[in-house]
Amino acid sequence: MERLVNKQIFGVIDATIHSDSFELLTQNRPVASLPFAGRYRLIDFMLSNMVHAGIDSVGIFSHHTHNSLQGHIGSGKVWDLDRKNGGLFFYVQNEHEADNAQLILHHNKAFFSRAPYPYVVIAPSNIVGRVPILNMLRQHKEQGSIVTQVVHSGKVLPIYLLTREHLVDLIAGMDKGNPKSLLAFIETSLADIEKTPYEVNEYLLTVDSLQCYYDNTLDLLNQDKWHAVFQKQFPVLTKTKDEPPAKYYPHSKVTNSIIANGCIIEGTITNSVVARGVKVGAGAIIRDCIIMPGVVVGKDCILDGAIIDKDVTIAEGIAVKKREVKLAVVPKGEFVFKEWE
Amino acid sequence: MAKKCIAMLLAGGQGSRLKALTKNLAKPAVAFGGKYRIIDFPLSNCTNSGIDTVGVLTQYQPLDLNSYIGNGAPWDLDRTNGGVAILPPYSESDGLRWYKGTASAIYENLNYIERYDPEYVIILSGDHIYKMNYAQMLDFHVQRSADVSIAVIEVPWDEASRFGIMNTDEESNITEFDEKPEEPKSNLASMGIYIFRADVLKEFLEMDHGTPESTNDFGKDVIPLLLDEKKKCVAYPFSGYWKDVGTIQSLWESNMDFLSLSTEETDDYLDLYEKKWRIYSKNPSYPPQYIDANATISHALINEGCVVKGHVERSVIFQGAQIGEGSVITDSVIMNDAIIGDNVKVHRAIIGPDTVIEDGSVVEPEDGTDEIVLRMDEQL
Repeated sequence: MERLVNKQIFGVIDATIHSDSFELLTQNRPVASLPFAGRYRLIDFMLSNMVHAGIDSVGIFSHHTHNSLQGHIGSGKVWDLDRKNGGLFFYVQNEHEADNAQLILHHNKAFFSRAPYPYVVIAPSNIVGRVPILNMLRQHKEQGSIVTQVVHSGKVLPIYLLTREHLVDLIAGMDKGNPKSLLAFIETSLADIEKTPYEVNEYLLTVDSLQCYYDNTLDLLNQDKWHAVFQKQFPVLTKTKDEPPAKYYPHSKVTNSIIANGCIIEGTITNSVVARGVKVGAGAIIRDCIIMPGVVVGKDCILDGAIIDKDVTIAEGIAVKKREVKLAVVPKGEFVFKEWE
Repeated sequence: MAKKCIAMLLAGGQGSRLKALTKNLAKPAVAFGGKYRIIDFPLSNCTNSGIDTVGVLTQYQPLDLNSYIGNGAPWDLDRTNGGVAILPPYSESDGLRWYKGTASAIYENLNYIERYDPEYVIILSGDHIYKMNYAQMLDFHVQRSADVSIAVIEVPWDEASRFGIMNTDEESNITEFDEKPEEPKSNLASMGIYIFRADVLKEFLEMDHGTPESTNDFGKDVIPLLLDEKKKCVAYPFSGYWKDVGTIQSLWESNMDFLSLSTEETDDYLDLYEKKWRIYSKNPSYPPQYIDANATISHALINEGCVVKGHVERSVIFQGAQIGEGSVITDSVIMNDAIIGDNVKVHRAIIGPDTVIEDGSVVEPEDGTDEIVLRMDEQL
């Protein structure tokens, strides 16, 4: 089918990565659906980058043990990917395919060979920040590159742009090693091929460990970084929840923080990122924390250097504090009724 | 497929007492409550009550309203069978027929109603802020075998002469309707919510249409006609929060009502945080709100996309608004994407959408008055 000018490229997001380096946070979810910046899941950032480049066909490959990602992406409507032509292709690998890129690609050959676009961009789900994919494509064509790879502050990132034909050839000729993920396969297959760098100068970050997740989330409190990630003309798109505005009580005290909708705040919050629908009781103090959606913090609690996962309830007067440099992490759904160890 | 009950939502109101806010915008599309538009309340009530077919009657400045409603998806009203339909005035072989009154708006769309062959039709207004389960009202209507049920609310006696007042007998049958009576005999005010048996609605709209001297208004003409014809008109008592946001003052007040604290919950408090009766709206893609290190916030409602660097007290701040350093916002409503510069003072004011207040400005009531100030940049 004849396509309009921008429709030259489709996207692939490798969301199969599941990692132990996030400890309790990724016990029951893929890295791709880790809540981030009070309102988002990690995958929203790369998905929005693709959509803002005019890409209207995206394949997401996800891990078999996790359905939170599928629930989040749904039909792809939020990203305008519920289309008759192109749109969202969501593939959940089955148990036999786990950690076996060869099988996944073999079973999905048709997706790659039939896509009516000359180019493809392949990216991971855990990079936050703006990647101008359309400019990357322009450079790729102008320089007649074989493969273009994103480079940020001197470091190569696993975001690749090549022709679809090239990718199909790579899949057909796949024989070496036993790559665990799509991106590992790309990396191995392209090992001997010259890659043209595409420099991204704006703020970008790869979220790859618990400490990195914590540090970089709180880093968003730096205004320059905040504005680099959340540019008005390129909104980060995510599933919406119809939460009402955040409500601040007369004695609440909130400074240097990011607060999402649906919060009801009676206590004190500083240097923290607080997600949707969190309740903070009177006299509670939250400092240097990441609070995920639906958490209830009782009266007079003290939270310091903690990551509180979704739907945790912390009873009145309880303290959850980091030990020296070790962050306190309370896993999803926990009810905390005594001091957290 | 036939429906049990469909809704007709009157959204053609001009709301001229809202001044500049409704110069280019129909009243139901006016921003409200930090995030919403007025029409979100009746639309959410419909979907929460299980009504999946809603005709929205538009007339005055419909552009923004139409694009806001779209296919109805934000309220879960994008349905294959039913859903939301926008019903503007249309022309026929005998010419264009503007909606003269609320009754003629429905009369001109009887064909829309007939398409769904409903047993009952609920008539709603797009001007009011309230949460109501229309399914309960319908149960009441059916139980009482009424021809029409009219939702009523008790208003303070000294305000009763501002409303359409229903006089009822002890079984809450309506015996008399007084439009803005000087000496009210009751304090039961009509909320402008009617459930009709569909056949009765059709019969009386046709009768009203055939009466040349009629102003074609439900309250003034159709309800008195039903009473004259001895139809069974029953008052459905409602208690809870209900507000008509007709003026700048009442718009400001009802925004401030949302600042009420749960500890002082009364009947006169509308809980936006109740999960089983969500108020839905179109959710724009803004990041969470950013509260700067120098900001101080006390008693406020603040929406996504805001950047607050100053002091906010007893105020409602809509999505995307920015409050500059050293600025002090008290007892005010700052609408979406307004930009308040540095060292600005805003007190008892409504700042319209996309309005820019320059650094160092003061926006407050004139000396000796406490009349709410509306400041609004002309929209293109």
